[in-house]
Amino acid sequence: MSDTPPIVELRGIRRSFVKDRQLIPVLQDINLAVQADEILCIVGESGCGKTTTGKIIAGLLDPSSGEVIVNGRPTESYQGREKALLRRQLQIVHQDPFASLNPAHTIGDILSFPLKRHRMTEGGAGLKRRIWELLTMVDLTPPGDMVNKYPHQLSGGQRQRVSIARALTVNPKLIVADEAVSMVDVSIRITLLKMLLRLRAELGLTIVFITHDLALAKYFAWEGRIAVMYLGRIVEIGRTQEVIANPSHPYTRALLAAVPEADPELTRHKQAIRLRSDDIPRLTDIPRGCAFHPRCPYFIPGMCDSDLPELASAPGFDQQVACIPVQRGLPLHVHESQVAAEAHP
Amino acid sequence: MTYKPDEVVLSIRDLSVSYGAQRGRVRAVQNVSFDLHAGETLALIGESGCGKSTLNLALIRQLPKTASIDGGSVLYTYRDGRQVDVLKYTKQEMRRYLWAECSMVFQGALNSLNPVIRISEMVYETGEAHGIPRLEARDRAMRLFEQVRLDAKRVFTSYPHELSGGMRQRVLLALSLILRPQIVIMDEPTTAVDILTQRSILDVLKVLRAELNFSVIFISHDLAVAAEIADTVATMYAGEIVERGPVNDVFYRSRHAYTLSLLNAAPRLSAGAETLDSIPGSPPDLIVPPPGCKFHPRCAYVQDVCRTVPPPLVAYDDGKRLAACHATEQVQQDAQATRILSPDAILPIVKGGVS
Amino acid sequence: MIGFATIATPIGLLIGLVCGLVPLAAGVYYKQIPVGVIGVIACVISGFACGFLGGVPMILLTYGVVLSYAYVNRQDPFTSRAALIDVTFEESRVEQFQRSMANLGNSIRGAWRALTRNKAGFLGFLGLTFFLVVMVFGPLFIKYDGQAHMERRVPGAFAMVAAPSAEFPLGLDWKGRDVLSHMVHGGQTLIITSIQAGIFATVIAVVLGSLAGLVGGVADQIISTIANFILTIPAFPLLIVLAALVDLDSGFLLAVLFGVLNWPTLMRAVRAQVLSLRERDYVQAAVALDLGLWHIIAREVFPNMVSYIAVNLIFTIRIAMYSVVGLVFLGLVPLKEPDWAIMIFTGRQQGVLFLPQAAGMLLSPIVAIALFQLSLVLFARSLEEIFNPRLRAGV
Repeated sequence: MSDTPPIVELRGIRRSFVKDRQLIPVLQDINLAVQADEILCIVGESGCGKTTTGKIIAGLLDPSSGEVIVNGRPTESYQGREKALLRRQLQIVHQDPFASLNPAHTIGDILSFPLKRHRMTEGGAGLKRRIWELLTMVDLTPPGDMVNKYPHQLSGGQRQRVSIARALTVNPKLIVADEAVSMVDVSIRITLLKMLLRLRAELGLTIVFITHDLALAKYFAWEGRIAVMYLGRIVEIGRTQEVIANPSHPYTRALLAAVPEADPELTRHKQAIRLRSDDIPRLTDIPRGCAFHPRCPYFIPGMCDSDLPELASAPGFDQQVACIPVQRGLPLHVHESQVAAEAHP
Repeated sequence: MTYKPDEVVLSIRDLSVSYGAQRGRVRAVQNVSFDLHAGETLALIGESGCGKSTLNLALIRQLPKTASIDGGSVLYTYRDGRQVDVLKYTKQEMRRYLWAECSMVFQGALNSLNPVIRISEMVYETGEAHGIPRLEARDRAMRLFEQVRLDAKRVFTSYPHELSGGMRQRVLLALSLILRPQIVIMDEPTTAVDILTQRSILDVLKVLRAELNFSVIFISHDLAVAAEIADTVATMYAGEIVERGPVNDVFYRSRHAYTLSLLNAAPRLSAGAETLDSIPGSPPDLIVPPPGCKFHPRCAYVQDVCRTVPPPLVAYDDGKRLAACHATEQVQQDAQATRILSPDAILPIVKGGVS
Repeated sequence: MIGFATIATPIGLLIGLVCGLVPLAAGVYYKQIPVGVIGVIACVISGFACGFLGGVPMILLTYGVVLSYAYVNRQDPFTSRAALIDVTFEESRVEQFQRSMANLGNSIRGAWRALTRNKAGFLGFLGLTFFLVVMVFGPLFIKYDGQAHMERRVPGAFAMVAAPSAEFPLGLDWKGRDVLSHMVHGGQTLIITSIQAGIFATVIAVVLGSLAGLVGGVADQIISTIANFILTIPAFPLLIVLAALVDLDSGFLLAVLFGVLNWPTLMRAVRAQVLSLRERDYVQAAVALDLGLWHIIAREVFPNMVSYIAVNLIFTIRIAMYSVVGLVFLGLVPLKEPDWAIMIFTGRQQGVLFLPQAAGMLLSPIVAIALFQLSLVLFARSLEEIFNPRLRAGV
């Protein structure tokens, strides 16, 4: 572990939204440190708050409470010009290739706006050279053909590349990829992910990859870390290789066991973990204590439904986990009212 | 095999569908042929633009006006042995055929259920349209809801918006079986759905399949789900079926370069560290497709013959497998060498989650 | 006065010819003779109609179109097909100007293609062009018949009104004047007033709606409250009261009044559009890239609203036209002759509504107004396509 401060650190982040006159707490108490040059994956199911976390990291959303610390200083302390520079260091690539590019502009326009606004190039020639460079970097060749095209003339994969090129125009230090490959063809996903890995190596980028696809997360962040979120909290975070091979939190285990594999023998011998309930609690009605306890097969009454688990280390695991029984090193037994884990029929 | 290989329920021969576009005709589906047996689950795998959605629409005769069926037949065998070409059915006959013989479950349950009608109404209406008395329809529905692990009473009287996405998908699944069809066509039913919800849907599907013995045509781009529930897998590319065979053969002994490329691009959670290969290029133009094999511009096994001669669909293993690839032997060899994971490469999550 | 209230003049023809030399020269130089000739014709017509106001802008437009067929800058890797090694990224000012002109030409060609693609829309466009031509060039050929002509009374008839005949194709009105001349000269005020009214209402609505949508907060609440207040005001009774107090004889004044009373409905629609566009991913990306509020308003949000605004403008013009005709018919607005609406009004006032010979005098303005409205409606269908960026690139 290096001594340099993390690029972005979230401390005690809470975030709520108002919907239909109700206050919905989307994030409760997120503590996360993104190290420079690392790959961090945030995974979870829909409603867990991973996109909101990503937007807070990218600086597009303010937390309702808590601190966002960038390069060692809280974001409030940045003023004026510094703040503008800070804004550019954190970029986002969106999920939907059809909505992430303005249909009224050509690719050339889209790339030249930030370059011109922030005077990052010298004159017309410099601008064009930089656009050429960027398009080549994201494998949109020949660049000459791409520049005058409109987004609707490109495929989904090509549009995502333009999105990435656009994010790169301002030389960011961190890119949040919010489900950036979910709406793209399966065969193109790996192309885009490999490209992102290559760009990271070449440009020294930090990438926060948000996804609901665990297999993809494993592949992309194999050398990095993975954080699992549930109902607005991080329940497990650690090196991907550890978390996947040796999951500690019951939710993570249930997820990993539930994912089908592109391998018939593998997937048909996989044992699923039956949860006590299929109902996902509403965010306005989060269960007391550990939010997962109504569904957790290893639920211990008195322990899991009263105290709130915090992320901490646990014996036998490298990663941090927010589960009280695991933190105390207790052996996990399936709760009596729960039928034993079924093998696939 | 879990199905009866002698009883053919649906027989599709040389089905071709095209759309009209400004530049010319888009050949969305070309000469597709396959048989669906009783109790068989066939997974149709392909990416966007491969023609699987068009094929789906053709099978249920819901093609848009701009599309035309250029040829072929879809022979359906009733339980009493009658054989009919569904493509020749009138609107009236289609209405009786759909849902009673062949039903559908589509992606995006929210759009399939009318938000102002209670589930009970839907059940009664469906029953009435096909001559099933109310009480009987209700009983069937309740039984099916129980089998898909829903609180039957509660679900029966609710509106769709009162149910979660996963519950709605399961309701759709139950409703699709209410008239005991022989075939259920499922088009990307688990694509927009969470991991745990997907798991429960797949489990429930297996239970229903075992008890009610229907055949499934499962259309998806998701290889993992196909690996889990399919008996037979067929891969589609640019409107054609390029490979078809029993699931284990297609996954471990693939005979088409596209199938193998797809497999090599699919990450497996339990496989630990992986090197995955992407497929360069993009899907071909269906109006003016590449000469020879349509996949050749993107193929790692491309030879000169691939550029000029379209590969014929050849049968292997006594007709159990079909593949249209010039490099089929090489592909199979590579597949056998790389697709089967050695036990020490497999991460322990496979063996169950209890520590 | 906002408008193009001009009549074709002979000197305009000369101006048009001079302007036409530019596209002709460009056509010859770039070996696009047919396009060059079309450019000359366009310049001549617009110069003829509007003098310098028409000729000079047309020079730029036609030059752009000619260039769009031919432009390739060998130095620029983005417009030439040469390999990267052989080109630089340098572009002189002249080349830059030419490239902008070529882009302009492309847009025009794309718009034309969009226009002709939709048959109904093109029909509407032709209708509007017809009215425009009659309005601008008609007066050259048909003199205005303003004096009463007692001598034209048909012997035995007890009114001056006469049915269409060989000499007077649309008949005579209640003063014995040639209806055709009134038709040719009488469209201007009505059409221009309606267009002005539509523009006023639309501009106010767009500005306020965008402000309310983008800035939100207090500004939004103030604007919305004012809009709601104005919506509750009954327009006709107000106008009746105003007519009693003020001399409403100027079309311009009417246009302003209409604008002030009718912006709320459109503002609400624009505000809703802006609110929805604000949440788009590409706007969020523009925020992340720190492109600035002005850029987001003018270049991210606005271009996606243009087609919506254009279609709404057309519909507002329609409503305005009906409102003006209605007001004139009720006698609340004493517009000056010649005017189509006045013809209908005097038809009722002078009691000739019930005479069969009055068909020419009454039906002509009614049919003209109806056809104009129809053309507007049909044209609106094309507008949406024209502003659609998908068609600019000629896919």
